Amino acid sequence: MYCVRNVTEDLYWVGANDHRLALFENAYPIPRGVTYNSYLLLDEKTVMFDTVDWSACRQLVENAQHVLNGRPLDYLVINHLEPDHAASIDEILLRWPDVTLISNEKAFMLMRQFGFHVDSHKIIEVNEGDTFSFGKHTVTFVFAPMVHWPEVMVTFDTTNGVLFSADAFGTFGTLDGKLFADEVNFDRDWLDDARRYLTNIVGKYGPHIQLLLKKAGGILDQIKYICPLHGPVWRKDLMYFIQKYDIWSRYEPEEKGILVVYASMYGNTESAAQALAARLCDKGMTNVALYDVSSTNVSQLISETFKYSHLVLASVTYNLGIYPAMHNYLLDMKALNVQKRTVAIVENGSWACKSGDLMQKFLTEEMKDMTVLNERVSMASALGEDKEVELDTLVDAILDSMNEKK
Amino acid sequence: MLFKTTQQHEELRAKVRNFAEEKVKPLTFLLDKENEFPAEAVAELGKMGLLGIPYPKEWGGLGLDIISYAIAVEELSRIDGGTGVILSAHTSLGTWPIFAFGTEAQKKKYLIPLCKGEKLGAFGLTEPNAGSDAGGTETTAVDKGDYYLLNGGKIFITNAPKADTYVVFAVTTPDIGTHGISAFIVEKGWKGFEFGDHYDKMGIRSSSTAELIFNDVKVPKENLLGKEGDGFKIAMATLDGGRIGIASQALGIAQGAFEQAVDYAKERVQFGKPIGFQQAISFKLSDMATKLRCARLLIYSAAEMKENHEPYGMESAMAKQYASDIALEVTNDALQIFGGTGYLKGMEVERMYRDAKITTIYEGTNEIQRVVIASHILGKPPKKTGGADRRMQKPAPITGVRKKVLFREGDSKEQVQALAEALKKDGFDFTVGIPMDTPIARAERVVSAGKGIGDKKNMKLIENLARAAGAAVGSSRPVAETLKYVPLNRYVGMSGQKFTGNLYIACGISGATQHLKGIKDASIIVAINKNANAPIFKNCDYGIVGDVNEILPLLAEALGTAEKQPAPPMVKMKRPQMPRPEPIGPRYVCSGCGYEYVPELGDEESEIAPGTLFQNLPEDWVCPECAEPKDQFIEA
Repeated sequence: MYCVRNVTEDLYWVGANDHRLALFENAYPIPRGVTYNSYLLLDEKTVMFDTVDWSACRQLVENAQHVLNGRPLDYLVINHLEPDHAASIDEILLRWPDVTLISNEKAFMLMRQFGFHVDSHKIIEVNEGDTFSFGKHTVTFVFAPMVHWPEVMVTFDTTNGVLFSADAFGTFGTLDGKLFADEVNFDRDWLDDARRYLTNIVGKYGPHIQLLLKKAGGILDQIKYICPLHGPVWRKDLMYFIQKYDIWSRYEPEEKGILVVYASMYGNTESAAQALAARLCDKGMTNVALYDVSSTNVSQLISETFKYSHLVLASVTYNLGIYPAMHNYLLDMKALNVQKRTVAIVENGSWACKSGDLMQKFLTEEMKDMTVLNERVSMASALGEDKEVELDTLVDAILDSMNEKK
Repeated sequence: MLFKTTQQHEELRAKVRNFAEEKVKPLTFLLDKENEFPAEAVAELGKMGLLGIPYPKEWGGLGLDIISYAIAVEELSRIDGGTGVILSAHTSLGTWPIFAFGTEAQKKKYLIPLCKGEKLGAFGLTEPNAGSDAGGTETTAVDKGDYYLLNGGKIFITNAPKADTYVVFAVTTPDIGTHGISAFIVEKGWKGFEFGDHYDKMGIRSSSTAELIFNDVKVPKENLLGKEGDGFKIAMATLDGGRIGIASQALGIAQGAFEQAVDYAKERVQFGKPIGFQQAISFKLSDMATKLRCARLLIYSAAEMKENHEPYGMESAMAKQYASDIALEVTNDALQIFGGTGYLKGMEVERMYRDAKITTIYEGTNEIQRVVIASHILGKPPKKTGGADRRMQKPAPITGVRKKVLFREGDSKEQVQALAEALKKDGFDFTVGIPMDTPIARAERVVSAGKGIGDKKNMKLIENLARAAGAAVGSSRPVAETLKYVPLNRYVGMSGQKFTGNLYIACGISGATQHLKGIKDASIIVAINKNANAPIFKNCDYGIVGDVNEILPLLAEALGTAEKQPAPPMVKMKRPQMPRPEPIGPRYVCSGCGYEYVPELGDEESEIAPGTLFQNLPEDWVCPECAEPKDQFIEA
């Protein structure tokens, strides 16, 4: 059965929801599923903007056939070549052999690499700033390299103010009938997944997001709709989400608060982490989130790291090194360019306590602009009462550092 | 051209040879045996003008050329290698840097008496940790306004302590390697400038060699030689020339041994004829003569190049390396020709055999000479490899950022007063205190004893100081564990109690890593130890180098021995964050792949040196990962 929704006059959502995929990019758990958004414009010519994952191809074809209602498909605009959007290109070419492909040089190169048979079709190679008219609607192409692939572009319909934003402004989660962000409680139900999506997938490329935001800044008053490739379409309160993107891509914390991540083998380090969290709350700082590094997916830890201003890393020593799951989290933070955070360290080691020094070295030498507090709680096996002073000193140091910041 | 010395050269040679045969030769056995300096002969060399051969007459020299100087060293060494090096070290090392880099005033004051032979010169570069690699220099000269304060020491210094004038190299700007070294003219007799014992050497025993010790030596500003930071350049230029002198010394020693061997080979008869006519010996003599001629031509050629201001660094290295290598071979063969007779003390070849060895070692080992020669052939070696390792990094002190103020001015009492004042200025109130048995982890202040405290009865000193400082008593691990002066729960360190309070006074604690880790969160660390090189001094805020027996009672008195009021709850004094190194310039990200160009790292594969700013990359530079051109990068 077709499943489409009208975005605005002449424009239809023809994408699909996916509840079956367990790991997005075969890496990130998506318990709330994901959508693959494709859009169809009915002008004097008919235009499809991006396709969907291969698993959703049948739904796309059904939807497109319904909306086209017997008309031919004239153009296929490809903004992003990642297969969760591009895998169905070849099928579209087979079903509508007269379609003309519109994309850029790098994207066509990638299409050939992926084995899509584009060269037996008409193609139009566009450059940054080029415009193209489908009749009533004129679009302009804006390149957005490394958000998060090099070929990425966004397409802006100057007639109705629709921005086809590719992966930018996307999120995990299925729409399940809703289409617009104002049809859901985004801040309550979607923001965490949106942050997890952006920080894990595009986190490394903050400077390039900033570049895109700068380009968009010039036409901000003309943008009426943001149509991303995943998640809901934005037509109200656009600045709410744009500002989130601005904060994330500048690696600024979203909230003044403390993320406590602990690595504990038998609960002793966990106990210290809990005691620390309780003392923080006791002293009035209740915006505290606490996670077990072993049982929390690292993508969630990354997302939370982008959210909070302060970080407490509590880790046991393992094989004279950092506990592997904690080490993996640190490596991911580095890979995703996490920076500008204040970190407190709690270390544990029953015979040779190394994790604190190693974590500090990693934070200061491998990462950018990380401040590690001098105060540190070191424990041998478990935190005894004699260490209470150290714990209090660390709590005070964290709170002091929070007050220093604006 | 004839490759021949001039008549003037040969006249000088005859003069020096005559002097050496008459005045030095009779003494050589005794000088060698007694480790004695030929003071009279050196004075006479001065009177003859031979201590200033290659320097202009206006500065008191003879105004002769470098070959003349080489000949003089060669001729003295032909008789006595020790006397040869006295002349060489004086002329090339002690005098030349002042001639080449000195101001008019410095030349007037120091160069003239050196050239005239009224004063003897020496050169101080080598240190325990800075031999072939001058970058390890640890002697420091701190700018104090009117003067530099020189501290440290030099080893293996030829002509010390006989010399009057020393060119000494010291660090004026720490942590920047050889660029931070400067040269100074230092006079014997200045306060704080002392000598270690005369070394008991294997050879050249008539040459005096000693250690230089500098303890707060005030060097007047006008005695800086060249500019600050020029030291390494001056040292290297000096050694370029010095090699000609050492090469000549090696040549002279070998020449002397060769002549002895020829004479002996003609005298000694075996199998019915002088052994020299046995082919085995005659071939030896032929090879020795050939090597000597090679060495001599190399030396004279380098000397001539220097005289004519041509680049001669490689040629002087070749001359030094070759002449000294063959000096070992020639003296060895000479002794072999003498057979058992040559193995006896009192035989000149025995002494020459020993004298020769030093020439492959000093003024740049022959290995270093080869490094010099190779660098002229090959240029600079390729850059070191590796990611983060490419960044120049200095290990931070274990206890983090510390003030490292050592109170050295005045007597012990004044030093202690200065310390007490500094602590009061930091906000410490010594009218209040905590019980001496406060647990270390809870203590605001701790006075801690190390093994340097000595006998157990000295723990009284610690307790008295703790009382005066309003502090608890702590210790290093051995004091609690091995000496058992205090219970085990009072030792401070990574494995023991961590001190995170405000004031830690370490008495007689050298500062083992484990101990330092236990006090790294202390707000203020005070070190009292008699060993100025103890690691604790690199990890303290304030320090006094002195005996705990003397300093502790003085400090107790200075802090006040009156009964203390109970201390209010501790307010932790903030410790400064370790400063982060400032980026040298912005990073840039590639729009083709996300590669980040980090100026601190450069781009090794494209031979972009670490430290190259993005804007200074060549126009045709492309992304090393995806080959996008430079204009596809955006600022990170």
